[in-house]
Formats: sequence, structure tokens, C-alpha cells
Amino acid sequence: MKERIERVVVPLDSASEMEVAIDTAARLAALWKVPLHGIFIEDEELLGLAGLPFGFQVTLGGIQKLSRREIERYFRAFAERARRQLAAAAARHHLKWSFAVVRGPLTPDLLKPRDFVVASAATRPIGSHFRVRARWWSAIASSRHPLLLARRPWDLGGSVLTLLRRRTAGTERLLTLAAEIAELGRREMTVWSDVAAEEEIAGWLEEALAGRPLAHKAEKGARGSASLKERVVALDCRLLVVAAEGARPDDLRGIVEGALCDLLVIGEEGEKDAKAPP
Amino acid sequence: MAQNEGQGKEPGTESAQFECGKALPAALLYRRCDPLELPFESVSELADAPGLIGQERAVEAIGFAIAMRRKGYNLYALGPAGTGKRTLVEELVREQAAGEPTPPDWCYVNNFEDPQKPSVLRLPPGRGNGLKDGMKRLIEELRAALPAAFERDDYRARREVIDERFKERNEEAFNELQRRAEAQGITLLRTPMGLALAPRREGKVLTPEMFEALPEAERTRIQQDLEAVQKDLEGLMRKVPEWEREHREAVRDLNRETTGAAIALMMDELRQGYRDLPDVVGYLDAVERDIKENADDFLGASAPPPGVPPGMPVPAQLEAALDEARFRRYQVNVIVDNGGLKGAPVIYEDNPTHQTLVGRVEHMARFGALVTDFNLLAAGALHRANDGYLLLDAQRLLTGYFGWPSLKRALQAGEIRIESLEQLLSLASTISLEPASIPLNIKVVLLGPPTLYYLLCAYDDDFKELFKIAADFDDRVARTSETTSLYARFIATVVRREKLRDLDREAVARTIEQAARVAEDADRLSTRLREIVDLLQEADLLAAQAGKPMVGAGEVQQAIDARFRRGDRIYRRLQEEIGRGTIRIETEGEEIGQVNGLSVMTLGGQSFGNPSRITARVRLGRGEVVDIEREVALGGPIHSKGVLILSGFLGGRFGRVRPLSLNASLVFEQSYGGVEGDSASAAELFALLSALAEAPIKQSFAVTGSVDQLGRVQAIGGVNEKIEGFFDACRIKGFTGRQGAIIPASNVAHLMLREDVVAAAREGRFGIYPIASVDEGLSLLTGIPAGEPLADGSYPEGTLNARVAARLDQFAAKAAELARAATSPVARS
Repeated sequence: MKERIERVVVPLDSASEMEVAIDTAARLAALWKVPLHGIFIEDEELLGLAGLPFGFQVTLGGIQKLSRREIERYFRAFAERARRQLAAAAARHHLKWSFAVVRGPLTPDLLKPRDFVVASAATRPIGSHFRVRARWWSAIASSRHPLLLARRPWDLGGSVLTLLRRRTAGTERLLTLAAEIAELGRREMTVWSDVAAEEEIAGWLEEALAGRPLAHKAEKGARGSASLKERVVALDCRLLVVAAEGARPDDLRGIVEGALCDLLVIGEEGEKDAKAPP
Repeated sequence: MAQNEGQGKEPGTESAQFECGKALPAALLYRRCDPLELPFESVSELADAPGLIGQERAVEAIGFAIAMRRKGYNLYALGPAGTGKRTLVEELVREQAAGEPTPPDWCYVNNFEDPQKPSVLRLPPGRGNGLKDGMKRLIEELRAALPAAFERDDYRARREVIDERFKERNEEAFNELQRRAEAQGITLLRTPMGLALAPRREGKVLTPEMFEALPEAERTRIQQDLEAVQKDLEGLMRKVPEWEREHREAVRDLNRETTGAAIALMMDELRQGYRDLPDVVGYLDAVERDIKENADDFLGASAPPPGVPPGMPVPAQLEAALDEARFRRYQVNVIVDNGGLKGAPVIYEDNPTHQTLVGRVEHMARFGALVTDFNLLAAGALHRANDGYLLLDAQRLLTGYFGWPSLKRALQAGEIRIESLEQLLSLASTISLEPASIPLNIKVVLLGPPTLYYLLCAYDDDFKELFKIAADFDDRVARTSETTSLYARFIATVVRREKLRDLDREAVARTIEQAARVAEDADRLSTRLREIVDLLQEADLLAAQAGKPMVGAGEVQQAIDARFRRGDRIYRRLQEEIGRGTIRIETEGEEIGQVNGLSVMTLGGQSFGNPSRITARVRLGRGEVVDIEREVALGGPIHSKGVLILSGFLGGRFGRVRPLSLNASLVFEQSYGGVEGDSASAAELFALLSALAEAPIKQSFAVTGSVDQLGRVQAIGGVNEKIEGFFDACRIKGFTGRQGAIIPASNVAHLMLREDVVAAAREGRFGIYPIASVDEGLSLLTGIPAGEPLADGSYPEGTLNARVAARLDQFAAKAAELARAATSPVARS
């Protein structure tokens, strides 16, 4: 890998399920021996909604009017909880850590060029099943930073599946990061492509992962997200690794939520016009 | 002089004749047990005694109480301590109990309907523990079998179908709502507690400013759209609890079915062993239902314990404690196990309190709180003795905390109810257990002193209802050849039981003589056998110390002497002070109005005689005899009665022909403690008559005995100790050959005097003089004949009674003169 990760960043908000994202981020920070940084984002849209005449929240107990003051109080409570969990995770892995609270979107100036972002793939459910989409999904296609959407507790096993369509400048970076995470969990990695032939993929692998003790294999699959989803389930995939380019968030979300796995999206290295996640 | 004949002497024994007013022959001072008449060399040749000696009345009462199975026929065995009450009662009761059926086992089990009210199970003897073990095995097997059943593919598949069905229904409804909202430009935001609907324009939620900038119609439309979606969302939310309940029910039904299939065989196997016991089968049915309802407990799927966050590992110790707590409700608490018992139980409870009798509810600490359940119910003596016999010490029962009221309540109700004292006294209002009561069928035997029996009869109405039989133990038995022989066998029994050295017949004879001394009667033997057992043990030690293989009479005597010596400090001090003259006791010479009286002191179980100087003074007065002891509240009521009898005697003998114009005062000199009893009334009368007659009394005598108004001398207690007390005083002061003790003739049969006293009497150094009347005593003490009354009521000249009468006449004349002077005109003027 040409570029070295310098920090693992966990963006958090009051809607996210925080535990898995923080634990995953801490493990990766320990792997790369880099600091852990938490950013709690106070949702401006929610605050704005409180100022509207129809600003209500519907709960299992009924309807309540949203008040800006009440929401801000909740934000403070959630931010404190996030800070404690981050501190505990950093202590478990002997990491340096920092924490910040910001209002508004996650702007590029909050991230450094060599940050690795770990966010929660899911929001907190209501009534066990009702989940709205986590805000981080909208950043998949445009993120220049590696973005891992965490869903699966680290203790659960499973393999790493890397989706690779064609060889680009970012292929080596993608394979290297995927391999490092697979090695961390002592997992097997499968590189799957619905375009390239098996031999071709094997060649890329040889080139990118030479000398690594990782068990890996190449697979050629049928086109379409259904075929990919099938493989994810069949391989008991714990991490699906994809390139940001051409990623279709809705398809990926269906796969990730169905198979309860994590998703790592890696943008092209050196893309100057890349946008940061919101 | 009257001639008396001793009582209880067997034909062929030493002479039983004695003459009042004359010194008793030495043979009457101590009734020996002749070793030659004992038909054995040592007690090892003798068989055990068949039972207690001389307790036929008590044995009959015990037999009756045991045979009578009606309510209230419990037994109170009363008698002095050491008479072997407990030994005899226990022996007889055990004999009876051995032939009675063995009572059932009792178990407390969980009441699955109401755990605060544990249920009770009655099982044939020995089967309680079988049920306990069976339940333990069942739970252990289920802890392995149930998770396996839930791990099987068919269960998993069915569970997934249920979960999927509910998940799909939820998601479909929610996604449909989301689609509808999105179509209307409305987005769902996760709020801290739920969801909010927000209008979106160009991918962004409208801000208040943007909203305000919209035309009125647009704002209204947005608001209406939002309200419609919000209403749908609210409806959806309202269905969630219902869907979740349906889901839980479906899972529970599946679990119940899976559990039922998994446990059916094991439950049937267990039930099979108790087909003959419907209550146990009913309990096992309840267990099966509970396991089906709570299969999660066996799957380890319960919530984490307090203080442990979800997902965190639970410490092994805590895990074990949780496991134990989770399955405690399936345990069986066997509170009475009669498996090893043959016949009915006989229980002696040495600490009868509420808790030790009716059982107790124990508590244990769990996660910082004190908790209890049916496993912590502990049996009391009533449980253990149920369908059998319970022996209790009455004194301990009455002083034991709430023992007596609790026993009465249980006997009256005919059931045992375990209640904690806090509940009983309403001291604690925390939730506790109300275990089912157990029917009580028991025979209670109280062992206690007679006074307690009479007090309970007098003051506790329930007592007579509940303890209708009294077994009255005697503390003495007539001394006959038969009882002597039984006593020897009793000694043989003790020797074997206590593993003592063999006793030769001289030792046995000396022990029997001591039994008569303890009984304070030459013709009786004490049945306070504990004292005799103690004596035998002490003699055995002395023989051991002397390296003798057998206990002889010498060791028995040494043991008697040693025992007295251990407690004679006060006695020796008193004797010493008599010798030094600090305590003034005259043992020679003569004094008017002064006589040596004899009393007995009992200190720490040791009795000894104590001579006292009694003095009397007379003066002109109105016929009153003043008891100085009573005046200063040192005299007891019986003593006062004795003194008042003296007035009666004086009035009866001398007051018929003249007024008693005297006042007299009587006192125990140098007495600083209380005086009780009437055994000094004869001595007091002698002092009084001496003072009246101005006839000196020989101080070489000491007197004991009570008198009646007719001048007859009556028996008193402690005669041996009293004589020995004066004998020891005389020894200290010096024997003169004229000293002796005057005792009631009716006490001669009680004489069992020390060997040295008997020897002194035999040698003429000390005499024991029986008297039957006051006149006999007066003649002895003064050397002047008392005098029989003549036909006119006067006494012959020169007799002591004539001198008393003359003195009283003087008092009367003087009183009349004074009265006349007081009423004459001169005097008046």
C-alpha cells in the first residue's frame, strides 16, 4: 500500500447504533497503531424540524411535539454516551483518542487525507424492526476516504469478500486494505468478480498480496446484485469490500442488511475532486 | 416417761427400743447395712436393676399416658432433680415407640401457583430423599436435553419461520409507509425517541426559513400531507406492541411444544415411581407445566444479572449463583427424613424455644438482599417427633423464647405451622413465607420439678387441658431387704454403664447407708440417684488414684468426706468462731432463760448444723410473747407461728386459773440472717419457762424440735446435721461427758449420724436424748422434775411447773395491785 492510514475516525450521531462502529474502529486503529477520533454530529435537520409547525415525533407511546431545547438536551446525552464508549474502547486497545462534537454535516475540513472512516451501517430500531436509513449510505459513492459501514459484531466470524470488476489504479489499495482487515480477524478472503476471469483475478491477487500469509481465492460470478448477495450469504461474509466507483448504495444496503455484514467502500487514490462524506 | 418404739426397723435388726429422756443407745444412732447380709462379693455378680427403685406410681402413670392416644393426654413427669425421671421416661417411651409404625417423611416443595405459600408433601418413610434425588436428576438431565432440543434443526427452522414472518410483516408495513412518504417528498428522520416526518426539497429537509418563504397554499398542502402520513405512522406504531405480543406468543407456543416433547419421557419415568401417591403426582404435573412455561431458564437465555451490562461476560461465581437461584424452585426440601428410623421417633429437645420447636424460616444473602424460599424452611423438634414422642425440660421450655406458647398453640391446633418470630410478633412487615401446615400427632412429655407443675396447674388454664397425666416421682423409698437388694443391682448397673471399677459388698453397704442419710431417714433410701451415681464416680476416681482395682468402703467414705470438705468453708468458719468465743455458745454451766437451739443452713447444696443461743426475758405485762426476730422482719411466718404457739401453750397450761400478766421476749442471739421454720419452738419454750421459773438450764445440751399447744414435741428436719453441728461445737469447746442433743422422739428413726458422733455416744462422751413432751425436756435441761398437774390444776411443790405457776401468780398479783392503785381515788387525784 502506498498510502498509510494515519487515523481512524468514527462519525456518530443520535440516530446511530454506536457500539459496533466504535468497537470496529478501535480494533482497526489498534491494527494500524494509529489514534482513534470520534466526531459526534448534531443533526441540523432535526433541529430545524423542531422549528416547523409540524415538527412532531411519533413514538411507540404516541405523538410528541419536538422542541429544539429538548433535542439539544438529547444530543448532549448521546454525545456524552458516545464519548464514554469511545474512551472505553480506546482503553481496551491502549489507543490514543480524541473526541469532538460538531453541528451540521461532516465537512472535509473535519477529516485528514489519510483518515479511515468507520460509521454505523444501521440506525437504532423502533419496535425491533423499524429502521430508517443511516445517513452514511449517501456518502458511499462520493467518499474519497475508505469508509467502513459496520453492522456485524466483531466476535461473529465470517469471511471477507472483495468485489473487483476491473483493474484500476486503486485496485492494489483496495486489495491491501481488505487483506489487512481479513488478516486481523484471521479470515479467508475471496475476490469475486462478475466481469474478469478467475485467472485474471488470481494474477491481480498475486501481484497485490505477494508474501502475505492470507488464505485467498478468486471467483468469477454471474452479473447482478442478486448473484453477489447469494455469494455473500453462502460465504458467511462478515465484510464486503467494494470500490466507490460505480457502487450502488441501495443494492449494497440490501445485501448488507440481509446478510448482516459490514461494508468497506474504497475510493480511488488521489482523486482530487472527491467529496467527503456528509 | 413415755416409751417409744422406732418405726421401720426390720425384725431381727438391732434393738428398736428407746426411752424418752434417756440417752439413746449407739445402735439407734445409725442403721448399718450389714455387708454380710448382701449375698454377693462384688457388684459384678449382680444383674442390672429392672428399672428405677420405688417409682411404681410414676411408672403406672407413664404407662397410662403412653397408652392413651386421645388429645390432651400429654404427660408431666414431676419429681425432684436427680430422681432419674428422664431416664425412666425415655426408657419406657422408647420401648413403646419401638413397636409403633415409623412415621412418614415430610417435604416442602415450591407452590407454583403462589411461591410465598410452599406446599407440603407426605411420603412413606425413606421416600422423601428419593423424590429429592429424582428431581435433582431430572433438572440436571433437562439442562442438557432441553438446549439440545432447541438446537435441533427442526426447532430452528420453525423458529426462523416465525421470526421471518413477523419481521416481514413489520418491514412490509414500514417500507410501504416510507415509499408513500418519499413519493410525497417526505422523509423520515430518527429522533431520540421515535421518528419524525420532514418535507424535503432538492434532497434537503426544509428549514423553517424555507418553509416560511413558501406560498400559503403550498404550506397548507405540505402540512396536510405530513399529517396524513403521520397518522398512518402513528397507526403503525400502535400495532407494534400487538405484533410483538403475537410474536412472543408464537415463540412461546413453539417452545412449549418443543419442551413438552423433550421432557415428556423423563417426567413420565419420574411419575411412575409415585403412582401410589396422588399428591406427589400432582406436584410433578405442576413441575412439568412450569418447565414448559419457563424453558428459557434451561437454555441460558435469561437476562444478564443486575450490574452486568448486556454482552459482557458473567463471572463464573455469579453464573453459578444464578444457576442455583434459577433452579431452586424445582428442589425438594426434605424436612423430616425417617428413612433410617425403626418405629416411632423419641426426641429430646434440650433447648426448647419457638424456633427449635416449630421450625424456622431461614434467609440467605443474594445480590445484597436477604431472601428466602421453601428450601430455607427448617424443621423443629415437633416435626422430627411427629407421630412419636417429644421430651422437654419444663423449666427450659418456660424460660426458652416463646417455647411454651408455641408448643401450646401447636398442641391445641393439632398442626405445626412454621412462622418466624418476626411474623408471630408482627415485628417485620416484609414479605415472608406462609408454608402449609403439617398435621400434628404427638405425645409430649415434660420433665420438671413439682413446684412448676403445681404453679402451671394453678395459673395456666391450658395446662390441665393439654397435660392431663402427671407422673409423680418419689424422692425416697422404704428401706427393706428387697429395696436394699434392688439398690445393689442399681449400683451394679451404674458401674457397668459408667465403666467404673467393681465395688465390693462393703462399699455397696456404705453406699446404701449414704442413700439413707441422703433420704434423712434410717428407714428410707433416697431415690435421687444422680447423687449416688456422683458418689460412685468420685469413689472410683479415688480408687484409681490409690491404684486399687476395686472400690471399697474406704473409698466411698473418702468420697463422702471429700465432698463435704469441698463445701464446708462456711461451716468450719462458724465452728472456728464458736471455739474462739466470737460466736458465743455455752457447752457447760447453767443459765436462766438461755438454751442452745439448733438450726440447719444450706449453702450451695451443702447442709450443716448450726447451734444458736436462744434467750428469753420475762416481765410484767399483758400476756404477750414478743418474737424479736419477727419484730425486725428477720423471722419467717412459720417461725412466727411457732412462737405464737408458745403463747397458746402457756395460756392452756397456766392461764386457766390466773391471768397471764407477763410480757416475754425471745431472740436468737448473734443471728444476723433470717430465721425460718418452727424447729426451734421447743428450745424457745424451754428458755421462756426457765426465765419464768428462774430455773437455770444446763448449757451442755442443745435442743431441737417443734411443740404444739398441748406441749407435745414434734419431728423436725435435718436432725442429723443439727446434732453433728452441736457435736462439732462441743469438740471445739471440749467434751465434758455431760453434753448431748435433745431431739423429738419421732426423729429417732431418722438418725444416720456420723461415725464419730456414734462413737462418742457409745463411749458416753455425747448423748442423744429423745423427748416426746415439753415436760421431759424441762426435766432434762433443768434437773428439776416438771411435775404432773394435781386435781385442782396446781402442781406439786418443788416442781418446775409449780415454780412457773408461782411466778405467774406473782405477776398477776402485782398487776392487780397496780390496776387497783391506778383506779383508786387517791391515784386518780
